[in-house]
Amino acid sequence: MSPSNDTATRLRRLLAILTWLAQEGEAPIDEAAARFDLTPEALVTELEMAACYGVPPYSPDELLEIIVTDDTVSTRTGTALARPRRLSPREGLALAAAVRALLAVPGSDVDGALSRALVKLERALGDPSVEVELDTPELLETVRSALDSRERLAIAYYSASTDQTGERTIVPRHLFASEGHWYVDAWCESAEGVRRFRVDRIASAVPTGPAGPDALADGLASPTPTGRAGSPGAAAPVVGAFVPGPDSRRVRVAVEPGMVWLLESIPSAVAVDPGARRPVWEVFVGGDAWLERLLLRLGPDAEVLDPIEDRRLAPEAAVRILGRYR
Amino acid sequence: MAPPDRLERVTDLLLVLLDTGRPLSLREIAQRVPGYPEGHDARRQAFERDKKLLRDEGVPVATEAIEGDDQIGYRVDPDAYYLPELGLDPDEQAALNLAVAGVHLGEPTGREALSKLGLGGRWPRRGAPLPVVDLPLVDGLPALPALFDAVRRRAVVSFVYRGEERSVDVAGIRFRGGHWYAVGWDRDRDQARTFRVDRFEGPPVAGEPGSASVPPGFDPEEVFGRDPWHFGTGAAAEVDVAVDAAESPRVVTELGQGAVVARESDGSVVVRLVVTDVDALVSWVLDLLDHAEVLRPPEVRDAVIARLGSIIAAGADR
Repeated sequence: MSPSNDTATRLRRLLAILTWLAQEGEAPIDEAAARFDLTPEALVTELEMAACYGVPPYSPDELLEIIVTDDTVSTRTGTALARPRRLSPREGLALAAAVRALLAVPGSDVDGALSRALVKLERALGDPSVEVELDTPELLETVRSALDSRERLAIAYYSASTDQTGERTIVPRHLFASEGHWYVDAWCESAEGVRRFRVDRIASAVPTGPAGPDALADGLASPTPTGRAGSPGAAAPVVGAFVPGPDSRRVRVAVEPGMVWLLESIPSAVAVDPGARRPVWEVFVGGDAWLERLLLRLGPDAEVLDPIEDRRLAPEAAVRILGRYR
Repeated sequence: MAPPDRLERVTDLLLVLLDTGRPLSLREIAQRVPGYPEGHDARRQAFERDKKLLRDEGVPVATEAIEGDDQIGYRVDPDAYYLPELGLDPDEQAALNLAVAGVHLGEPTGREALSKLGLGGRWPRRGAPLPVVDLPLVDGLPALPALFDAVRRRAVVSFVYRGEERSVDVAGIRFRGGHWYAVGWDRDRDQARTFRVDRFEGPPVAGEPGSASVPPGFDPEEVFGRDPWHFGTGAAAEVDVAVDAAESPRVVTELGQGAVVARESDGSVVVRLVVTDVDALVSWVLDLLDHAEVLRPPEVRDAVIARLGSIIAAGADR
């Protein structure tokens, strides 16, 4: 670490400690140290040094008032380094978005504290008008309550990539929202493994009693797909929505220039020859049904270049759908 | 006595710049802040490094012209540096911390913001883990903080979108369906518009604070509430679509209960949409494969049938 980074980190930490301490008034040394990932000795050294900062006529008494006793540290609100500071646009956006996102989760603010905090925060930030919408599938509460009470759920689940609805019994282990949709990672009894399900594709869910210890054991493998979940090929950070499956493949298509916007909305889609009369793109496909949907939306001028076998998909799907209109 | 370490010098510099009512020259600063080297060049170099460090940390070190030999003075305006006291109650502080813990934003994480508000450090963990929300933010979306700033400063924003220069009074930013949007008044088109932030070509440029003027009665919720098949300029038509049990949970989640006009015992539903763009609607219906069928009006049914026919014909030609 360069000396410059080191000083910046220490300054940031010092300001964070003092601003926090000013709100507390006084705190036990052990608690303050643990909070800021320091040993008690390191915290005391840092604060004792800081207590001597300040230069005439800006004396320490006036600008900084840090008192270190045998087991507590304290400072006074309103001193120069202990007042809340303005947020950069990035920081303000991050905080406002986090609050809005949590408020979009049903049942996340039962006592209203988060909403009250948001009013105060937005007033201070200058009313930035940030809104976050998340899906609220009808069965979200059912899944969440099974997760909280460690219950099994018998579900009917529609897999968009295989275009099949199936019955399974699952034990929810982790519920999260990604790309605007809710997913649950769950132990699937029929597959004897962890699978990922999109909550708005669960058609019915019935609790069937407490889960066994196996279903809740930690350290099981990451989920494997139950079909397409989210967008194909999306990078999987902490909680990525998409898990590649056995039918996953790369497909190359030529499209009308006017339809390129649709491909641009797919995270995994890559332009191979964007300058061609009909631009050529490559998409990561999770299953036949997913590709059918894409090709039907791209319209009659879209052509699969590779693999050739996938050329049959769009006309076959069109015939199948036409069956409903006769 | 050992020379003061750099943290002391930087901290003293911050205190001096905050306290001064008028911009100070480097010479005046060096008289007040111990630890700067003697030589002119070395002093200037050390000061520039400290100034950069403070600015990188978000301290608004202002540079102003002053009388005298030095010509340039420096200060930190306390109004630009300090936030007015928020007056957060303890439960509100805890709620903010939970929001930052439960929402994964990428960078920045929201932790730095909490630190600046006096809510920094590690919080004692209480209760069951929250559901996690994954919210792509500034990573890969450099336009977003600039838009956020423009909205709160009421500044008109210029940017390139789909190859065209736009000048927009942005009324708000919205996250929906995995994407961030800017909602506002497009001055060149004289129309309310919605822009996807990840499709901005290049960084937005904000005008002067207060330069934005959203027309009276402009309601971002109303503009943003429009589904794609609402964006057309054609006459509005009510379209009924039957959706079977496989897709009905997702469709009802997407459209809301208000769109449902019939619910069958087999789990299928009929939804009613107000459509001004038939092509967009056809595209939406085809995305549901054979799980959906347009019931009425006949001309929209015919549009679906025609699109399917053209896809079959194109397949036969290849």
